[in-house]
Amino acid sequence: MIAITFLIPIAVGIALVFLVLFLGAVRSGQFDDLDDPAERILHDD
Amino acid sequence: MAYAIIRGAGLERYYAERTELPPRPEPLRERWESVDPEHLDDGSCEIRLAIDGLRCASCVWVTENVLERTDGIRRVQVSYATGRASIRWDPGQLDLGEIAGRIASLGYRPRLLGSEARPDRSLLTRLGVAAFAAANVMMFSAAIYAGWLGSMEPAYLTLFRWASLVLATPVALWSAAPFFEGAWTGLRNRILHMDVPIAIAIGVLYVQGVAGTLAGFDTYLDSLTMLVTLLLAGRVLESGGRRRAAEAAVTLAATVPGTARRIVGDSLEVVASESLLPGDRVAVGAGEDLPADGVIVAGRGLLQRALLTGESAPVTVQENDEVWAGTLLVDGAVTVEVSVAVEGTVIQQMAEQLRQAADRGTRPSSTDRIAPWFTAATLGVALLTFLVWLPLAGGAKALTTTIAVLIVACPCALALSKPLTAAAGLGAAARRGLLFRSADALLDTAAVDTVVLDKTGTVTEGAVDIVAAADQDLRVAAGLERYSRHPIAVAIVRETVARGIPLPASSDVREEAGVGMEGRVDGALWRIRSGGADLVILEGEGGYRGLIRVGDRVREDSRSAVAALQDLGMRVTLLSGDDPEPTRRIAEALGIEETMPNTSPAAKAERIEGWRAEGRTVLFAGDGLNDGPALAAANVAVAMGSGAASSILTADAVLGVPSVGPLAAGVRVSRVCRSAIRANQARSIAYNVLAVSAAAVGLVNPLVAAVLMPLSSGMVLAGAGRVERRVRALERSGPEKTGS
Repeated sequence: MIAITFLIPIAVGIALVFLVLFLGAVRSGQFDDLDDPAERILHDD
Repeated sequence: MAYAIIRGAGLERYYAERTELPPRPEPLRERWESVDPEHLDDGSCEIRLAIDGLRCASCVWVTENVLERTDGIRRVQVSYATGRASIRWDPGQLDLGEIAGRIASLGYRPRLLGSEARPDRSLLTRLGVAAFAAANVMMFSAAIYAGWLGSMEPAYLTLFRWASLVLATPVALWSAAPFFEGAWTGLRNRILHMDVPIAIAIGVLYVQGVAGTLAGFDTYLDSLTMLVTLLLAGRVLESGGRRRAAEAAVTLAATVPGTARRIVGDSLEVVASESLLPGDRVAVGAGEDLPADGVIVAGRGLLQRALLTGESAPVTVQENDEVWAGTLLVDGAVTVEVSVAVEGTVIQQMAEQLRQAADRGTRPSSTDRIAPWFTAATLGVALLTFLVWLPLAGGAKALTTTIAVLIVACPCALALSKPLTAAAGLGAAARRGLLFRSADALLDTAAVDTVVLDKTGTVTEGAVDIVAAADQDLRVAAGLERYSRHPIAVAIVRETVARGIPLPASSDVREEAGVGMEGRVDGALWRIRSGGADLVILEGEGGYRGLIRVGDRVREDSRSAVAALQDLGMRVTLLSGDDPEPTRRIAEALGIEETMPNTSPAAKAERIEGWRAEGRTVLFAGDGLNDGPALAAANVAVAMGSGAASSILTADAVLGVPSVGPLAAGVRVSRVCRSAIRANQARSIAYNVLAVSAAAVGLVNPLVAAVLMPLSSGMVLAGAGRVERRVRALERSGPEKTGS
């Protein structure tokens, strides 16, 4: 059961990697506008 | 104004960077004091501000209520859809800085229009952190619950509890902050909304979690993280449906050319349209938009007034005729004497009406109306539980039971029911071609009982088309009209080619703008002149007279769309600025009995307001800029996707396809959503009554809570998932007449 003491940090650490990736995506503006880019192809200019 | 000065001085970077600092009241004051608001005749001032950070309809309600109770403020209108506020106040009693400070004290960020908005990313960041913590805490909790069955060494139990607490702490203290802020703002202003019971539940959950971890008893931290995650997801969904539309008026103004050619003595000078003054004379050539309102003093031409009237057929204008900024001189050349300065032009007044349309207030949703009762009931039951258990089982048991009551009373499902169902409904409507701007717009549509359709460009294709003409007349006409760029001429040539008639050779063709054409075809002299809005007269030698009827072609599926709306119990009316005869002809083709021809934009709006006063709920579908007032007056405003940009920006919904067919589908989706939300609200209240009762008699422990809470939210989610299926069932069962 001693394994749990380092399995927990590993599990949390992996999740943390994904959290950091997600926050990076938010910060770089990837979620700022989810509607317009899909429609941009339809506009003339 | 202030922004222009700041930008002129190259100081905009200073503000862009300065907003990163915590707000300091003093420099903020100075910035607002340099703003020049609009001074009204009655001595009051008016300004339009953008307010960042409005998260929900309740925020709008709070802001409006608080400002309205402030002395010196006469009128406040806050729009959730655009994040803008229009405020009228008495400058003798307070200044703009104080108003801005008041808004800022509520936790929102007022700014001048024109300064760039930074998108609010904090909600997503909070959601990310909450979801990360929830997933991990649930993993630990699963281990703890499994430990109940077997045996778990106390050391590991403590380890799992501490790990849960470490992960739940940022969720409770940071991710959930919007709920605490909302509740606090509400309480301070004596307004109870849904954030209050949510904040109570989260607060109690966390305090109990800290105490449990320290003292070694069971905690509900898994429920805490999951609740916050679900609630934040609901918020993100709700704000996602709302697009920060650019101000409609900006688009409208763009249709007025930026420059004009002013006549000075014998020469022309190019000046900004804004600087034109009454009495100035400007030259306008073929293909140009008019820069100002005025009167023609020389020349003649063809004016396309679609911007103002919505009718695409151009009319002849000549000396002493009134013309308007933003209209298009299709042909000819005129000199216009400006009659009013830019602010007074018809198009500017229309822009103002459009602004007001975009600012239509948001009323609190039914969920917000339940909130005070809900909070009071929860607190009452909690107090009762404590008082009953205290003499029966002592302080410790009474406290844990009361805590359980407060925790399971969290109105999570209730708060989620509207955003989740509306998100499903918005998707279902979008797949059918109707794009709603907001959840509120979607839900409003369910109550619609009167549908008003604009004629030109909405039920018809909006382009001039040949309705009836003999082949030989068309052939001769096309021979002359091939040299003209008048829309009717273009339609005649197009129809001739479509009928496979070769265009004849012609000579000596002369066009007199706004009057007609003359020339030789096959050696004979022919004249073409207009015989009214929908008739072209062809005159030949020897008194020959041929008639070509022009008009607007009805869209193919308009008839079946009208029939579908009538099947849904709608009263359908056709409105048009056009003459009675063509309007009646099209109404007949569509199976509409009620028509209103010759209706000006203002009269359209008046008519719709009249119906609303009779207690009817009106949906208006139109395409032109001139429909702005009517769009504003209707309960639900629908714009054609191909229509004018500003009508799209102010509308509640946009038709994604050139057809009114999706209207009926949109009404169906809306009705399904409204009943689904009502059912969900009823279910989640029933759940709360059950869960609170169970908690009050001491039957709830962390595992029960961890199962019950997602169950209630899952119920709401399942209800939302059924929206699409129920809409399809309705489409199959509904008697659908076809246009045949």
